[in-house]
Amino acid sequence: MIALLVARNTFREVVRDRVLMALVIGGLVLLLGTRLASPLAMGEGLRLTVDLGLSSISWLGLLVVLTVGTALVSKEIDRKTIFNLLSRPLPRPFYLIGKWLGLTVALATVAGILGVALWLMLVLLGHAAYAGSIAEAVFLATLELAVINSLAVMFSALSTPLLSALYTLGFFLGGQWCADLRLLAARCPGSLRMLLEGTANVLPNLPLFNMRTLAASGELTSWTHLAIASVYALLYCGCVLSLASAAFESRDFK
Amino acid sequence: MPDPDALKSRAQDRQPLATPAGERPDAGHPHVSSGAAAMAGDVPAVSIRGLSKQYRHPWTQKITRGLEPLDLEVRRGEVFGYLGPNGAGKTTTLKILTGLLKPTSGTAMILGEPIERVSSRARIGFLPEQPYFYDSLTGVEYLEFVARLSGMAGRDATRAARAWLAKVGLGERERMVLRKYSKGMLQRLGLAAAMVHGPELLILDEPMSGLDPFGRRDVRDLILEQRERGTTVLFSSHILPDVEALCDRVAILLEGRLERVANVGDLVEGSSPVVEVHVEGGRVFEIPVKLAPVVERSDTGGFTGLRLREPERLQELLAWLLSERIAVHAVTPVRPSLEQLFMAAAEKSAFHAQGVRRPA
Repeated sequence: MIALLVARNTFREVVRDRVLMALVIGGLVLLLGTRLASPLAMGEGLRLTVDLGLSSISWLGLLVVLTVGTALVSKEIDRKTIFNLLSRPLPRPFYLIGKWLGLTVALATVAGILGVALWLMLVLLGHAAYAGSIAEAVFLATLELAVINSLAVMFSALSTPLLSALYTLGFFLGGQWCADLRLLAARCPGSLRMLLEGTANVLPNLPLFNMRTLAASGELTSWTHLAIASVYALLYCGCVLSLASAAFESRDFK
Repeated sequence: MPDPDALKSRAQDRQPLATPAGERPDAGHPHVSSGAAAMAGDVPAVSIRGLSKQYRHPWTQKITRGLEPLDLEVRRGEVFGYLGPNGAGKTTTLKILTGLLKPTSGTAMILGEPIERVSSRARIGFLPEQPYFYDSLTGVEYLEFVARLSGMAGRDATRAARAWLAKVGLGERERMVLRKYSKGMLQRLGLAAAMVHGPELLILDEPMSGLDPFGRRDVRDLILEQRERGTTVLFSSHILPDVEALCDRVAILLEGRLERVANVGDLVEGSSPVVEVHVEGGRVFEIPVKLAPVVERSDTGGFTGLRLREPERLQELLAWLLSERIAVHAVTPVRPSLEQLFMAAAEKSAFHAQGVRRPA
């Protein structure tokens, strides 16, 4: 319950930030841009619109995580606003969970707004049937953002905003290629194989959350996929936030 | 619940120094254990035993001492001043008590609960030095948020937030976002945030810092009002006249070490007074040899001041002045202020430190 208070406050802080508003407007402009580019797609305009539209949601979300999420806790420490919170009966792990949850809900809101905008654009083009696939793709994109956000919050709690952004970006890029890393590990000998497999296990399995290609064809994914992705995201976020809490618990605030 | 007016009327029915926890505005507080409530009358507000803090540089591993082992007790219902120059360890102590720093050694209890327990912070209100807030929230939103963090229910928190905002003179700016607040307004908001949930112990780090004389007076009044309702107040300050006016007892901390704890009255009363004798100016005279070691002369404007360090020799001095036909305008006994005593202690400590460093 107390984490929800922090989450609500974080959400309110983030949505009132002009950066977020600018990114949402930027996202809407980008969606219109995909429509303008569709004549160049040689008959694949609809596919291009959906694919680029969904990609823009993911990339803008990542931008929010890198600009806001990676400074979420460190900014509070630098500006000393954290003193007013942690001097109250607020356990530190709940503080971190609240910060993560607040930004995740804000990210879900941004993804939802852009998803609805994309669907409305498709309705105007006479393709209302894409609603299901877009909803699923936006849901998975939100899970992906929640996972990246948990990493951003962890690094933010332990490091500077710049380093947090670099670490988070590194995990994001590594996570995109973790399937390739596993393939590479299978071809490597002994200890190198173990090292690569270990790295692939630590990195978030981000391809699990990518169904843009399916959505571009108007197809739906299975409920099993959605359930596995949800459970994986929950477990990954739980592990990352637990690690962050353990390190944050002993931290001094001078 | 902690509507200031309601608190005030309730305070009139209460014995200031032994307020049962169950009768306080935060009765039924989710974080207040029944055990703690039962002990409320007996235990000190703050009890510190051997508390110390050292900082280790992450790269060089060099250790810096923030606080030498400290023993201190703050009684219930008193206003306790925590004095010391910059870097003396005041803020370190207060941050350890509020859970922002982890002690290197020692123990501390707040209202009978060890500081390691998060619940020990349910009954305290803390104002950090130069408090910062969330720019995009309004005053009411912020106070409501922190009140709920301290365990108040939603509707009570909103009511208390509005009441306290009005009480600190910001009621007309309910909808103004905090980025538009002045420094003084933020300090007032910080005080309201520390008190909004009706804490039993107030820990204030430099509460007068950055305030104009009117703001300082308001803070003084707030602290006195809290004392009236039985709240214990522990505050650090550089502004010694305020400490002298407000505190029952003070602790003087120098270079991380506790120098002295005393009642303010005893400290000032117990110190050696001096007598100032103002005589007509412009006269050429020489102080007799017998009195010279205990009399300091200063000439300002049309008067000459004679500062007598041994008041029991006043008659001797006056007799000599009369014999010399020097007109006496005023005889004033002067007790040193807390500030002078503090400066003397600081100088003594610096001298001692030099002595320690000096090779034998």
